[in-house]
Order: sequence, then structure tokens, then C-alpha cells
Amino acid sequence: MFLLEYAVLAGILYGLYFSLIGIGLNLTFGVLKIVNLAHGDFLMLGGFLAYFLYSALGLSPLWAVPINLVLFVALGGLLYALLIPRLRQSRDPEMASFILFFGLSQAIEALAILAFGNNQRSLPAAAIGPGTISLFGQVFPLSWAAAGAAGLLSVLLLYLYLYHTRLGQATRAVMASREEAVASGLSVGRISALAFGIGLALAAIAGVFAPYLLGGISPNMGVAVTTTSFTVIVIGALGNPVGTVVGGLIYGLALMLMETYASSWATLLPYLLLVITLLIWPSGLLGRRLRSA
Amino acid sequence: MAKRSTLGIFCALALGGATALAQQSSVFTIGTLYAGSGSFATSSLPQYQGLKFWAQQVNAKGGVYVKSLGKRLKIKIVALNDQSSTSTAETEYNQLITQDHVNLLVADFGSVLTSVAIPLANEHHVLLIDPTGTGASFFPKPNPYLVLAALPTSAVWPDSLANFLIARKLKRVAILYDTNDFDQSQAQTLAQKLKAAGITPVYDNGVSTSTSNYTVLVHDIAATNPQVVAEFGYSANDIPFLQAVDSSGLKFNLVFTVFPGQLEQLLQKNVGTAGLNGTLTYPTPPLLAYNKVNFGLGVNAFTRAFKAAGMGAPNFLDIAGYNSGLVIQRALQLTSGLKPLALRRAIQSFSGKMFTLDGLFKVQSSGAQVGELLPVAQFQMQGGQLKLVIVYPKNVATGKLLYPAP
Amino acid sequence: MPKLRGHAWAIAVLLAAFALAPSFYGNHSVLFSMAAFVALAEGLNVLYGFTGYLPFGYVGFFGTGAYGASLAILAGTPPLLALLVGAAASVVLAALLTPLLRLSGAYFSIASLATAEAMRLIVSNPALTPLTKGPYGLNLQAAFHPHQSYWAMLVILALTLALVSYLRLSPFGLALQAVREDPVSAAMAGVPVVYARSAAWLLSAAVAGSVGGAFAWHLSVFYPQTVFSLSTSIFAIVFTLFGGAATLLGPATGAVLLYALYTAVGLSAPQYFQLIYGLLIVGLVLFLPYGLTSLLQRRGIHVP
Repeated sequence: MFLLEYAVLAGILYGLYFSLIGIGLNLTFGVLKIVNLAHGDFLMLGGFLAYFLYSALGLSPLWAVPINLVLFVALGGLLYALLIPRLRQSRDPEMASFILFFGLSQAIEALAILAFGNNQRSLPAAAIGPGTISLFGQVFPLSWAAAGAAGLLSVLLLYLYLYHTRLGQATRAVMASREEAVASGLSVGRISALAFGIGLALAAIAGVFAPYLLGGISPNMGVAVTTTSFTVIVIGALGNPVGTVVGGLIYGLALMLMETYASSWATLLPYLLLVITLLIWPSGLLGRRLRSA
Repeated sequence: MAKRSTLGIFCALALGGATALAQQSSVFTIGTLYAGSGSFATSSLPQYQGLKFWAQQVNAKGGVYVKSLGKRLKIKIVALNDQSSTSTAETEYNQLITQDHVNLLVADFGSVLTSVAIPLANEHHVLLIDPTGTGASFFPKPNPYLVLAALPTSAVWPDSLANFLIARKLKRVAILYDTNDFDQSQAQTLAQKLKAAGITPVYDNGVSTSTSNYTVLVHDIAATNPQVVAEFGYSANDIPFLQAVDSSGLKFNLVFTVFPGQLEQLLQKNVGTAGLNGTLTYPTPPLLAYNKVNFGLGVNAFTRAFKAAGMGAPNFLDIAGYNSGLVIQRALQLTSGLKPLALRRAIQSFSGKMFTLDGLFKVQSSGAQVGELLPVAQFQMQGGQLKLVIVYPKNVATGKLLYPAP
Repeated sequence: MPKLRGHAWAIAVLLAAFALAPSFYGNHSVLFSMAAFVALAEGLNVLYGFTGYLPFGYVGFFGTGAYGASLAILAGTPPLLALLVGAAASVVLAALLTPLLRLSGAYFSIASLATAEAMRLIVSNPALTPLTKGPYGLNLQAAFHPHQSYWAMLVILALTLALVSYLRLSPFGLALQAVREDPVSAAMAGVPVVYARSAAWLLSAAVAGSVGGAFAWHLSVFYPQTVFSLSTSIFAIVFTLFGGAATLLGPATGAVLLYALYTAVGLSAPQYFQLIYGLLIVGLVLFLPYGLTSLLQRRGIHVP
């Protein structure tokens, strides 16, 4: 029972963190109907920022959270202006974006290797704060609690933004139907650019916790992170931020239970979950939109 | 240097005169690969650096004196970057053999990148010096074209560790390994040796090599109440594993991991001093200081020369690269000619007699290295500094085991 | 039939070049890999070019073929026969995965990527060590034969090129392209949509499986991550896009040009090469989405 309880609690914390990883990708998809295959690489960049804040300036990696937010929203606006208008003109923007962002991911990885070298970087446990934290009688590293809290908080803030601000409501209007939003006079371009930037910033913020939750940061981690994020948001529902939390929790719980009871098969799990979900519930657990051809 | 030599090759190719390079008779050409990027770069680059350092040292003295030829040969290294990809490595080993006509091949770091060179070396009759590719399946039968130079085959690694656990009567042993050739073969050997002594591990599980978070696994292991936890992984696994142990709030009497003994600085930077204090590892040079050598530099002299050459403080893989150079150097001195089989006969002639900074060099006819032993050592705080103290076997021990670890 | 003649010439020239090259250039590994990538790009073209499904996990079939063929060789099957076993293993996997074709666009691509990763993890799992040798990889040195495996690769390449030619010229190929453009209208016009797509899927898997088998035989010592490496899929996709999908010459040209560039530049300066590759993809999508051959097609020139 002891093991089960621990695995379940760890799965919830880990799952909240994975919601944070996936939610930016989901927002971008919902608003722009494009798949950002470079998502994991932006997470990596955010992680490196946290690493250098600590190792060069001695600051807590948590300072990287607000810095990443500002930096990556700006970067998102820039990338949006450079790439998206032209992408929209192609015959199949969803597929074209998929390939384009894959290329971008390769370019970012190459630049990161040139800039940071190949060594995997990590941070000592003490960098984020000393000791452990007790939850329901089980002891967890402080970094886990911080990552889980960051995940929960980001989802809540995003929810408040989307449902209780005017800009957010406009964003949801674009999500529901781009054409209607254009027709009703919303500045769709600016709303989309902001959503894209927020998507990147959420990835970068998730990167701050990567040294603790993902074992370290290295330039070539992007593809694996992107695949996992995709799994999380597909299990939940594409284009639905609340769905991401469900997806993250299912993923986290399943992974931790597998590690406890069938460890060598654990890494197989996300891929199996993804394929099974797609085949049985093609629109995700909480989705309504059909996506079969 | 690597880039220039590669460029040279392409120019030569363009002129249709690729063979001219290799036939300059006062030069001995060594072809090698290194991983400039990808998952093996951390280990591969220092190994390549060690080999380059050796070549510089030898060339500064005018080259290696080959008695049978009656003259000195300068060493020339042709190096290509395989980016940690095996299929790229295969075309590049082939490139070195068929286009650069190198006299001898030195494999890249580790089993994965070495694997594809073995059939090519056999096919083209080129001698392959394998610094660190310890794969369990590489040495099934006598093979005149393969010599493992700097480490014993991976299945031999945990010998001392097993004996140590048996001698200390530590009966509750947990084994966690990554499912790759290198780690699984060690885990299997350890489990077999323990079982032969009547000890059944309380936990013995494999996880994928891509596992990056060990918190729950560490907890699962703790639930079996082990006295010792042995984790066999690559450095990218050892780091998150030790972090998980350090930050989980759990306490094990002893923890063993492989890479702190090879890449101490990397591990210390990422895990922190507190995270390493008390853990066990296989000590390798320079942490294992072999200074009574009969060929090449001893560990201390090497460390000084290496730093003086502006290459920083050496780690084990720098030494592995350098040691491979020493094997080549001794072979050239003693050989009856530059043909691969003559070189191999020369190597066999000093096998079991040469003692370098990496320990005793002894190869079997399959090419497997059996001379070096990997003792067991513990990181201990001494005067505010982390020191690696060898605790087993007794004849090389430099201190006492702290049990349970602090 | 001037078009047919054009195709026959194109195939003959390409094969003759690969057949003669070993006498002029000693690094047969480069030639072998190049031939393998031409075949893989064409195999991917069978699916992507003619149906619009882009399999990111194409390497899953390649690796399955490699393991299928190698395990057959280790069990005593003659290598040439073992290649058929490899192809068959991939076709069986593809048949099991046929339901993936219900997904569209990016969902299909990601799901196929996930199956390739899953295959790698299954093959390398220690629980299956008695069957697949798990993480220890396979050693076929007893059957190592670089010349025979090169010729086998060329036969596979010839068959693949013939297949793409057939799709390019036959009513079946036209029907597939009609399905790609508009499945509903195609179905109404009497095209058996599900059957046509599944056929392209299985054929594409058979190509990757046999190329994987020949690759494994040629390499002879390898680990699971060697034959299930994601970069194999990436190369095949980039080569196809660069040359131009849904043609015979596009993917082949892309593979030959870019692989040659990779060998010349990538080996000495790989980071710059990865950067160039990434930017090339971005540029292609934005400015030349139908590849090199579309430059000619736009001017009304028929490209085989």
C-alpha cells in the first residue's frame, strides 16, 4: 500500500508538471491550428536560461520564470510575424506547419550545440531550496512540489485569462472559428501572435524545472519532450486547456505506476497511450471535434 | 586539426591522388572517429583529446623509433566526426580504410560506436585498437584485428564489487540497471556472482536508458530495505539517480554508481558535493593513481604534462585515449613490420608485461582486455574536500570504508 | 508511350550509376547508404506522394525489417531469403497498424512516430532477450558480405523505382492521387478509398522492411538504436520534400544530392550541417513546398 500511495502522489505531481509542458503546445494548436514541433526546443532554451542564472549569477533558478515569460512572449511575436502569414497561404497549413517547425527544431538544436556544447547540464538539488516536503505522510523533493505547483498555477492563470478577460474571450473566439472572428472585426493576427508567444513562454517556464524533473537539460532533448507533450495533449483533448490537465495526470500516474510495478516497460507507456487513445477516442478524452479523415 | 586533415582528404580526392598521402614512408597514419555532438560527445571528445596528446608528445620527440625499419615514424591522425551516429560512423570507418588508407584504426568511445568498425576491420584486414568499446558480444572467438586497450570487457567490471559485497557480508543488495549492452551485462554479472555466493538481490530491475527521473524508482528500492543500492547507467543516468537519492529524503547505507569514478568533475558539478559524499564507484585513473609504470607517463606526470599542454585537468577518458596511444607506440617499437598481423603479434608479445598509467595491459587472442582491474572506492569528505578512497581489494586499498555512508 | 520510355531511361541510368560506382570510388559504405536512402525516400514517396500521409515513424518499418531479416539469418536462413522475411515482418506490422490510416494529417504522423519508438523499446526490452537479444544488439559477422549485400540493395532499389513508376503511370496511381486531393469525390467516382490507401501503406512498409534487412546485413553488427534511429525517418522525409513528392525522379534526386552534400560537408562540420538542414526545411516549406521538380513542372515540363 505504501508503494501504491507514493506512486499515486508522485504521479499527480509529475502529471501536473506535464500539464505545464503540454499546455503551451495545446494553446498554440487551439488558436493557430498549427503544430509546433519545436515546442521541446523552446523548453530546452528556457532551461538553459535558468541554468545560467544559477551557475553564472548565483540566482535561484525560479527567477527564470518571470524572465522567460517576458522574453519568450516577445520571441513568439517575432517568430509569428516572420513565419505564420506566409504559412497560411499554403495548401495545407496544418501539415506545412508541422514540417516547418520540425525544421526550426533542428536549427535551434544545432545552434544550441554551437552555443552551449554537448554536455548535459543539471542543477544541484539545493539550488531551488533545501530539503524535502511532506504531502499526506509521503516525502517528496522540494523541486517536485515546486514543479507541480507551477503546473497548477499556470493552468489556473491560463483559465482565468481565457475565460475572464476580454483578450482571452477574443482568443477563445478565434479558437472556435477563425473566419467568424475575422468577420466580427477582431484583430485576429495580434491575438494569435500573443497566444503563440504565451505558448512558447509556458514551454520555457516548464524548462526551468527540467533539471529536476527531466534529469537535466541538453541541446538534443527537444524531440523527446515534444513527443511527450503531444501525447499529453492528445490524451486530454487538442485545443482544450482543461483537457491538458487530464492528459497530464493520466500520463503521470500511468508512468509512475509502471515504474513501480513493471519498470522496464515504463518508457513504452507514453507511446502506447498515444496510439491507443488516437485509435479508440480519436478526439481525446474530453474532445468533441472529430479528427478522422 | 581534424578539420584540416579532412579537408585535405577531400582535396586529394578531387585531384584523384588519395593514395599519395598514406604512402609517405616516414609517417604512420592512424584513423579515428570522435563524436562532436550527440549523446556520446561528453565521453568521446576527451578520449580523442587523449589520443591527440599522445601523438603530440611522440612527434615532439621526432616520432616513434621502429627498430625493424631502423628509423623514426611521425604519427599522423586523421579524425572524422561521427556525431554519435552509428550509420555515419560506419561510412567514416570505411572512408578511413578505403580512401585515407590509414595504417591502423582507433575506434570511437564506447560499444555502440565501436560495433560497426569490427566487421569492417576484419573485412579489410586493418588492426582496430578499441579504447573503451567493451561490448559483451565483441569477443566471441580469436580475432587478430581487434585489441581492447583501456578497459576490461564490461562483464568483468563488477568482479571486485561482487567480491567486496560478499566479503563485507552485505546480503541485502538492490540492483537497478539501464537496458543497454554496457549496463545490463554488468548487472547480470553482479547478480550471477552474488547468487553463486548464496545472495539473492532484493531488487533487480532494468529501466530504459532514456529514463530521466528516478524519484519513484528510488522509493520503490527503499521499500525493499537494501543495505546497498547498485545503479548501472551512463553518466546521463547516474546524475538524475544520485540527485533523486540526495533529494528524496531517503537514506541508503551504501550507493554504488559507475561514472563518478570516470567523470568526477561532471558529476560533482551536477550532483553537488553532498550528493557524492559516501557513494561508491569504480575508481579509474587519474583517481586511481598508477605511478609505478614501465611505459609512458605515470598518472601524476601525465596530469602535469596534460595541464601544461593547455588541455585542462584530465579525466579517465583522456587517459584511455592516451593509453591507446601507448599500446600503439609499444607495438611500433617492437614490430617486425607495419602489416596489421605483425603489429598484432608485437602487441601479444608485451601483453601481460606492460604496466601503464591505466594499469596492467593484458589481452586475450579474442582481443578482450583482462589485465586491468576495477577496484571499489568511496567518496569521503576529508578536510572539506571530497576524496576518492579505495576500499577494496586490500592490496590496493588507500583507506577504510565508512559504513553506513555519512 | 513516351512517358514510359522516359521512366525506363531514368531508372536505367540511376541503376547503372550505382552499379558502376564501386569501381571508381572505394568507400562502398557511402554508396550503399546512398542507394538505401534513395530507396527509402522512394518508399516514403509511395505513401506520402500518392496518399498525403506523412509517416514520421517510417523508420519503424526499417528497423522491423532489419530485425526480421537478421533474426532469420541467425536462425540459419540464407541472407537473400532473409530479406524477404524482413520485408514480410514489416508488412505484417503495417497490416496491424492499418487503423492508423483513419487519422489525418499531423495525428497520423505523430501516431506513426509513436509506433516506431514503441517498436524500438519492445525490441530492446530485457524481457525479450532470448528472442531479440534485447539491448545487446545483433552480430551477423558470420554472414557478413559487403558485395552481395550491395547488389541485393540495388535489386531492392530497382524494384522500388519500378513500383513508383507504376504508380506514376497507372490508373491505380491516378486513383490514389484523386483520393489524396479529395477522398469524398474519389469515393463517389468509384475509387475504393480504403483499399487503395491500405495497398500504398503496405507497399511502402515492404520497401522500408527490405531496405532495413539489407542495411542490417551490410552493417552486420548493430544495436536497436542503430536501426530505429529517428534520423533515418528525417533524412527520408527531407530528401523526398527537397526533390519533390509524387514523382519518380524527385525523391531520388533529393536523396543523391543531399546525401552527397551530407558526406562532403556533414562529416567535417556537422553542427553547421544540421543548422543548414533545419533552415533548408523551413525555406522549402515557405518558398518551394513542392520541391525541386516543381520548378520544372511549373514550366509545363513533364518530370518522370
